[in-house]
Amino acid sequence: MAAARLCRCRCRALLSRPAGAVRARRGLAAGPEMHFGFQTVTEEERREKIYQVFENVAKKYDVMNDSMTLGIHRVWKDILVHKMNPCPGTLLLDVAGGTGDIAFRFINYVRSVRQRQLQRKLKHHQNLSWQQIFESYQKDEFNSLGDSQVVVCDINREMLKVGKQKAEHLGYSEGLSWVLGNAEELPFDDDKFDVYTIAFGIRNVTRIDLALQEAYRVLKPGGRFLCLEFSHVSNPLLSRLYDLYSFQVIPVLGEVIAGDWRSYQYLVESIRQFPPQVVNNYGTYFSGGAEGNDRRCRLFQSGL
Amino acid sequence: SALSRHCHGLREGQQQSGSGAGSGSDPGAGSGSGSGSARPQPPEPSLLRFLVCPLSKRPLRYEEATNELINEELGIAYPIIDGIPNMVPEAARMTRKEAPAEGSERP
Repeated sequence: MAAARLCRCRCRALLSRPAGAVRARRGLAAGPEMHFGFQTVTEEERREKIYQVFENVAKKYDVMNDSMTLGIHRVWKDILVHKMNPCPGTLLLDVAGGTGDIAFRFINYVRSVRQRQLQRKLKHHQNLSWQQIFESYQKDEFNSLGDSQVVVCDINREMLKVGKQKAEHLGYSEGLSWVLGNAEELPFDDDKFDVYTIAFGIRNVTRIDLALQEAYRVLKPGGRFLCLEFSHVSNPLLSRLYDLYSFQVIPVLGEVIAGDWRSYQYLVESIRQFPPQVVNNYGTYFSGGAEGNDRRCRLFQSGL
Repeated sequence: SALSRHCHGLREGQQQSGSGAGSGSDPGAGSGSGSGSARPQPPEPSLLRFLVCPLSKRPLRYEEATNELINEELGIAYPIIDGIPNMVPEAARMTRKEAPAEGSERP
């Protein structure tokens, strides 16, 4: 099952994969050859293909997410934001966040936290005149997010367009910005953000090491890196059912709903190809690699 | 358009097709915003606090006339299309005829 638990992948499961996948997997860290789903491609080709995948699926991305995960992705994203537990004033960078799912949830969350803050504040002002309370309320009303901000960064223009339209449609405007940028080369200054999230995006990044370096750079000391990604299923029975669903059902849904089964073939293959040990290594990267100890970040392995 | 990585150097005189200057005001850009035709959307002011050039990580200047974010040092400009800054080197255009200041060779 596609859980966000960062569990270890069994070697058995690896060997039962198609031979091409194993060969391609070895190429992951090596020279110019990389994997695109189960194919072997150059780094350049991979970037281009992935760009095209998301260009094609952008308009149906949300519908397909619901079909592929039977709506469960919404729960995972809710949990991610709850784990983040942002307080008003938090600056969030949501990378590969094209259609805005995490950003909208973040805004809802800080808005409700902020409302409770304001209510508590009003309760304590029992000795103020009505005029003073009214003025104080007016002032805070225009700051309903408490200066929280989220920047959505994605490399794909189509995904961002869909996200921006969704935002307009749903009425999100304050505290939200959209930037077209590359996770491997972020257009943001150092030490700016409190939280960096990447939900179901990191396996589509070609140079994950560069993306991590950039995440580290733009996060403030003590900032948090939250990654939501599919992992492997250890239970063999579930694994078989999951494979069946992924490879028999999802591409068909992709063709029926989005008219594009190849893109969805890529998406399910890329889930298989993404090695969980990469994710486990994040912890080493962030906590061990830094010269400055003031930037030590711990990896949260949250089990869901 | 192909996403080929240029290693910190932009091809001289090459106008990136479709994403050059002024395309922010292209009415055919299919923006979802209701605010009408040819007026380019400037970026959020708060965003300008964070944005830097992805190549040099240096600050940028917003140029209202062309609706671009300009890196004076390197002489490159990033377009803003439909209110979304395009902060990838492939989308940028050179603002000067000669090579970026890095080389600093005057003809």
